[in-house]
Order: sequence, then structure tokens, then C-alpha cells
Amino acid sequence: MRIRVATMGLTMVVGMLLVIQGGCSKKSIQSGGDAQSSDRGMAKSGGPAPSAMGSAGSMGAAPNLDAPSATFPDLSLSSKPEDPETGGLRGFDSVSGGKAPSEERLGGGGTMLAKVEPSESTARQIEEIRREQAKEQAASAEAGLRDVFFGYDSWTITEDGRQSLTQDAQWIKANAGALVKIEGHCDERGTLAYNLVLGEKRAKAVRNYLVELGVGANRLSVVSYGKERPFCNERSESCYQQNRRGHVVVRSK
Amino acid sequence: MNRVIIGLMMTLCVVVGAGLFGILDSRATDVFLEATRPDFQKIPIGVFGFQNGSGPEWLGGRLEEVLKADLQRSLVFSLVDLPAIGVKVREVSTTDKAVFKQAAENGVSVLVWGKSGQKNGSKDSELLMDGFVYDSGSDEVVGGKRYVGSTSVVRLMAHRFADELVFRYTGEPGIARTKIVYVAEHGNARELFVMDYDGYEPKQITADGFLNLMPRWSPDRRFIVFTAYRSRNTQDIDILELATGKRWTLVSMPGLNITPALSPDGNYLAFASSQDGNSEIYKLDTRTKTPQRLTVNQGGDLSPTWSPTGREMAFTSDRGGAPQVFVMSADGSNVRRLTYEGDYNAAPAWSPRGNWIAYVCRTAQRLYKLCIVSPDGQKRVQVTTGPGIDDSPSWSPDGRHLTFSSTVDGKSHIYMVDTDGKNLERITFGGTHNSSPSWSPAL
Repeated sequence: MRIRVATMGLTMVVGMLLVIQGGCSKKSIQSGGDAQSSDRGMAKSGGPAPSAMGSAGSMGAAPNLDAPSATFPDLSLSSKPEDPETGGLRGFDSVSGGKAPSEERLGGGGTMLAKVEPSESTARQIEEIRREQAKEQAASAEAGLRDVFFGYDSWTITEDGRQSLTQDAQWIKANAGALVKIEGHCDERGTLAYNLVLGEKRAKAVRNYLVELGVGANRLSVVSYGKERPFCNERSESCYQQNRRGHVVVRSK
Repeated sequence: MNRVIIGLMMTLCVVVGAGLFGILDSRATDVFLEATRPDFQKIPIGVFGFQNGSGPEWLGGRLEEVLKADLQRSLVFSLVDLPAIGVKVREVSTTDKAVFKQAAENGVSVLVWGKSGQKNGSKDSELLMDGFVYDSGSDEVVGGKRYVGSTSVVRLMAHRFADELVFRYTGEPGIARTKIVYVAEHGNARELFVMDYDGYEPKQITADGFLNLMPRWSPDRRFIVFTAYRSRNTQDIDILELATGKRWTLVSMPGLNITPALSPDGNYLAFASSQDGNSEIYKLDTRTKTPQRLTVNQGGDLSPTWSPTGREMAFTSDRGGAPQVFVMSADGSNVRRLTYEGDYNAAPAWSPRGNWIAYVCRTAQRLYKLCIVSPDGQKRVQVTTGPGIDDSPSWSPDGRHLTFSSTVDGKSHIYMVDTDGKNLERITFGGTHNSSPSWSPAL
């Protein structure tokens, strides 16, 4: 009996302390695995307005929640359908007395996968991508646009790079209708993900320098390919050097 | 009187607050009890093989080979070489007590055997596998399983049997039926593929002809989220439903839209975008479609990975100049740096048990290898060594293995390795460039 009273007392004290703790800390204690309750109303200043998703495609376009991207499937786990073919294990059946185990029929192959058939439309799309790329290459070669090369882990534009960009800027200013894209590329060292960030830093360094030289920012777009579209596939410094690049191209569209 | 109480409460607040904060802080790292303790004794298991009946000649051997590899990789069992301890391997039946006894006396805890063949009276040439289990502890035949299906599910029969065994002896789901989604070079493009965890049965799931990158599973295994390039000029984060092939765009902000990761409850998508100038981490509520920016600084923040409780995230940031791994609460507060060794640490992946974060570490020799660190930063271990650029670590759902890409054999391929660096196994052999593997949750 005495023990029970003591336990109750302890529980109450701990409970009280928890309440007090909650009261004197600015941050409430998060309970459970879901941070949902603490998310609301905590958006940081400087963050986007709560409808910034889905400005498909065009750079700097106003956020638009009515874009097709605004509808997507229910991802909550409660909506998970049972998968009778591949789901839970059923345990072993007794085989005493020479009885055969009950039959489990297997289909699918684990996760059910829809077959992707490269259809006519994807073939057309692939052909279109190839054509656009060839067009860009030809236009950029004709314009004589020069690329910028970077040091290992670096996005600083070198003296050589500044000279190339001075030439590029002259051509861009002289061809008022042209739109220019700067692709950021990296060598194969480092992680795929961080190289996408590094590639963007390189592309933006090029863009910013062109803007400094008087090119209108609205004529320049940037895209990072990280280490996913290398110019050169050998494992040597001369090859790596070629891949650490801000590639300046005339946009086909 | 009131004043005294308030005073007392304030004092308590400070004293207890400090104490409780200590407790909360250590709890906040999601450290779970480790089921794979270093002193864990593997269970010795012997596989007699499958007596092949009427089916194709290769059937019994295939089942045995797949089952043995699964049991080996489970790290729950250790395979005993039965002939080496004098136990004859063929023609076992459920009443063969003498053979069971002989094996048990030689330290074998579990014995497995089976039969395979064409299903009797089946018109569409269906195959059948019977599997049986003997346990030396209870000295009885524990039970059996019978699987029926086409030739395309033969490997699945053995995988399923292996998972039944792991579940019976550990109470945990096995990994034999898990999948790996990855990126494969396909002509000039990079497309997504899904394969079995052992590298078999690869299936293409995208065919857009350009770049699809960084796939990750939804917690219920129904969806894949990934970065897709639209018209080569912009990136989106898309989601693909595996069963139907249907695809939606979740995020299409200006600039980078990379490293998507769904929360363990599926309610949030964390990702990195550079719409505000440099790469920052955002969290999209998938129910209300409301985004929230979580990081605010001049450096690049990317690669969010959720703790198994969903309360915290680890991520990469170069806010101090070079990329390092950081941890924060899921609301963006409590940011702390986790890695201090070396000047390049990136691509973190939080283990499903919560006790480790794997990442790519650049060594003193400037090699990109895999490391693991405890969420409190106290323990750090380098997992892989030697040449090759290792990238994109992803945990098996049992927390015992990592899959990753490496150029150790020249071209980039997918590998798996135990968390102690043992049993390095290459699992893709075809193709010119395989990368960015992500291990599915268990069934």
C-alpha cells in the first residue's frame, strides 16, 4: 500500500514537472512520431508563401496551385491497400502425419510493377530531345560561344574564364533575340547530389558574370547536370578538367 | 503565498528544465535497441537441398542456390556445410530422425529441405516448391510451406521461404523479398529500374529519354519519388505509382528540385530547391500541399534523410565552406553539425533502426568511401576502403547492409556491403552506368 502511494506521488510530481517544463520552454515537447502539430504556424520568415509549389517550367513564374502538379496521390499509410499476393507471411503449416502444407499461390514478383514499354510517343520524345540538342550545339558553335572551366571543388571564375565570357557577352548583346542557357557540369568525383548543387553554383557564377558585363538576366537561364552528362569519360585529370565546366549554349526554345 | 509558489515553480523550472533537457536531447537522436548486437550468435542452419520431381531440371538447384544466398545475407543464420560434418545431403524425409540427430549433435540448430517439380494435374505448367523445417531445440519438424506459381516466381518462392525462416527465428521481417530502385544509363538517357535486392529481375520503370535521378521509395513501397528533367532545361520532383505506371509532378519550383525523401508516415516530402537563390531544404505536406522552408543560410543545403521516427532529419550543408553532414529537428530547429573529420562528407542516409547515419566521406587520400556515424556524433566508422568512388548509400530495412554505387570495377555499378565492411558483393553486372540505388522498405 505504502509503495503504491509513493508511486502515485512520484507520478504526480513527474507529471507536474512535465507540465512546468512545457510552460517554461519556448519549444513544446514533441510527442509521438508525427511532427504535424508543431509544423503549423512555425513557417520561418524568408520562406515561401504557403502556395509556392507548382510553378511548372517557366523560371520566376508566379506560384500556381492550379497547375496539374497540384493533384497527386494520397500518400498516407492508412490508404495502403492489402496486397494478398505479396504481403504478409503466413508462418509454417504443421506437416505432422505426412500432411502436405496448404498451398500459397505466388504471382506478381514482389512489388507489382507496371511494364514500361517505350511507346511511340516516348520514341518521338527521345528523337525530339536529340534534335533539339543537335540544334543547340550547331547554333552555339556558329555563335562561337566559349565555355568556362573550373578548379576542383571550385565555382570561382578564373582569368581565362573571364576572357571567354567577355567574348560571349559581346555575341549575346549583338544578337538581341537569342536566349542563352548555361549548363553547370562537374567531374565524377564527389557525390551525385552535391555535384548538382556544385554544378548550379558554377552555372550561376557564369550567369552573374555575364550580367555584370551588361547582359540582361532575363535572357539567361541556368541548369545543373552535376556529373550526369560528362563531356569526357576517362579517369584522368585532363578529362576531369573538361568536365568541370560552365557550358554556354544558345537555347533552341 | 502565491508568490512563494511561483518562485518555487520557477526554480523547479530551471533545475528540472535543465535536467529534462538533458534527457530529451539524448532521446532526440532516435537511438533504438540494437537487435544486431555484436555478440549476436548466428543460428547454424543446414540446407539439404530440394529433391527435383517432374519439373525442369534446373528447378531444385535454383531454389537451393537462391535460398542459401538469402540465408547467408540475412546475417541471422550461418550456413553449415553438411557433407563436411559427415551428414548425407540427399533423400531426406520428415521422418528421417537419425539424420536430424546426427546434424544436431554436430551443432546444427535448424535443418531445411524440400521438394520441387511440376504441379500435378496443372494445365499451364505450374511449378511447385515444398519446403520443410526441423528444429533441433524442440527436436521436431516445425512445419512446411507449399508454393505454387509460374517459372517467373521461382526465385520469389525461395525468397519467401527465407523470409519465413528469418521471421520465425527473429520476429523481424527478412529482406529476401525487398527491391532496389536505381538509375541506369540507357542510350544517352538515365532511366529508373527496379530489381530484386540480389540484383535479379531488373525492370525498367521510366522511359523519357533524358535524365531521371535520385529515386526513393515511399514507406509503403507503392511509389517512387525522383528528380526528372523536363525539356532538358528544368527539374521537377515526380512521383510514380509502380503498379500502374501513373506519374505526377509533386514539386516544380524554379532552379534545383533534388534529393526528395518521403517521411516515414508518408505525410511529408522533404527535398532541396534553389528557388530562393541557393539550395535549401523544404518540406511539403502531401495532404495539404503546403510547403515549408526549413533551412535559412548562405550555403547549399540538400539530401535530407528522415530519422525512423520522423522527428529529425540529417542533411548535407556547405554552410561552413565544404560539405558536411548536419542534423536538425523536422521543423528546422536544433541544427547541429554531425561530422568533423575530413573536408567532404555528404549524402547521408539514416538507418531504419535509428542508430547510425551512413554517408560518403572523403578520406585523407582523397578517396570517396562510405562511413557511418552515430546520431550523437560519438561513434564513427569507415565502412568501405580501397579504390573507387563510392556514392549514394542506402540502408537495407533490417539495418544490417548498405547498398551503394561504386566505380571500384571501372564503370559505376551497384554493390552491397555489411555495416562492418564485410561481404562486399556486386549486384549489377549489365549496363554501362548504374547509380543511385535506394533499398525498399520490407514487406
